[in-house]
Amino acid sequence: MAEIKEIKGKIVVPYHWSYGATITKFFQETRENKKIYGARCTKCKGVLVPPVRLCGRCFAPTEEEWVELSDHGRLVSFTTVYLPFPGQPTEPPYTYGMIRLDGADTDFPHLIKEIDEDKMKVDMRLQAVWSEERKGNLFDIKYFKPEE
Amino acid sequence: MEPLVKEGNITVPYQWTTGPAVGKFLTELRDNKKIMGLRCPKCKRLFVPPLELFCGRCFVEMKDWVEVSEEGKVISYTVVNLPLPEPCQPPLPPPYALAAIRLEGADTEIIHLLGEVEFEKIKIGMPVKAVWKEKREGSILDIEHFKPRG
Repeated sequence: MAEIKEIKGKIVVPYHWSYGATITKFFQETRENKKIYGARCTKCKGVLVPPVRLCGRCFAPTEEEWVELSDHGRLVSFTTVYLPFPGQPTEPPYTYGMIRLDGADTDFPHLIKEIDEDKMKVDMRLQAVWSEERKGNLFDIKYFKPEE
Repeated sequence: MEPLVKEGNITVPYQWTTGPAVGKFLTELRDNKKIMGLRCPKCKRLFVPPLELFCGRCFVEMKDWVEVSEEGKVISYTVVNLPLPEPCQPPLPPPYALAAIRLEGADTEIIHLLGEVEFEKIKIGMPVKAVWKEKREGSILDIEHFKPRG
């Protein structure tokens, strides 16, 4: 056998990330009620989804006003990922889209399925497909598909 | 409100280049069940395991490879009872005994597991002998542990 010149190792870094009050509320609603909530900026009145505590544009608080959004929306942009890398939601190839939910003022990334990439068009209508088993994360929504 | 927490795992795979000294040491463990050391031509100390090609005290290159015995004695030891947090990868689930072992002819100690012994019976100065693994992969754990020698 060849002389040893290198050793392979692996460092594992487990962590807990606390969602904080705003994202906790968002994921509680997706998990318990299959509802998507945004938060309205007190200054610009934009509806931010996923919600953040402070509006990134105005630095004004948002969480005083929760807004229930539709789980339908339109496709703003999309791309297909062919390259494998750590932390992917699924095996490539898969298509990711930016989705503007009805009533929202920000876009929201998620998987797009049940359609071939070459049939996808910017501005097409999409709807959420909910997971049976919801754990309080972004995959409480399984993916988005073309609106029926 | 019940605060939600995400549990994640970052994995960091890496390759560590052994350098020629550790490379040869591990290759000899794997292929020939031999424990090799390097002798400093100036101070004559025998380094086991050899971590560098240079003697840290004399700053001279060491080329003189010497096979050492697989027998030696315990210079110091400890019993580990605490499970280590990740990312540490302990060789065994605790409790296990770790010892600094000076092999016959060597001037430095090798850190390794003590096996086939009750922890209460481990003594400093105790003679020990290497127990080899059948399937060796070029790791310090190609020696399974050191056991007491009669």
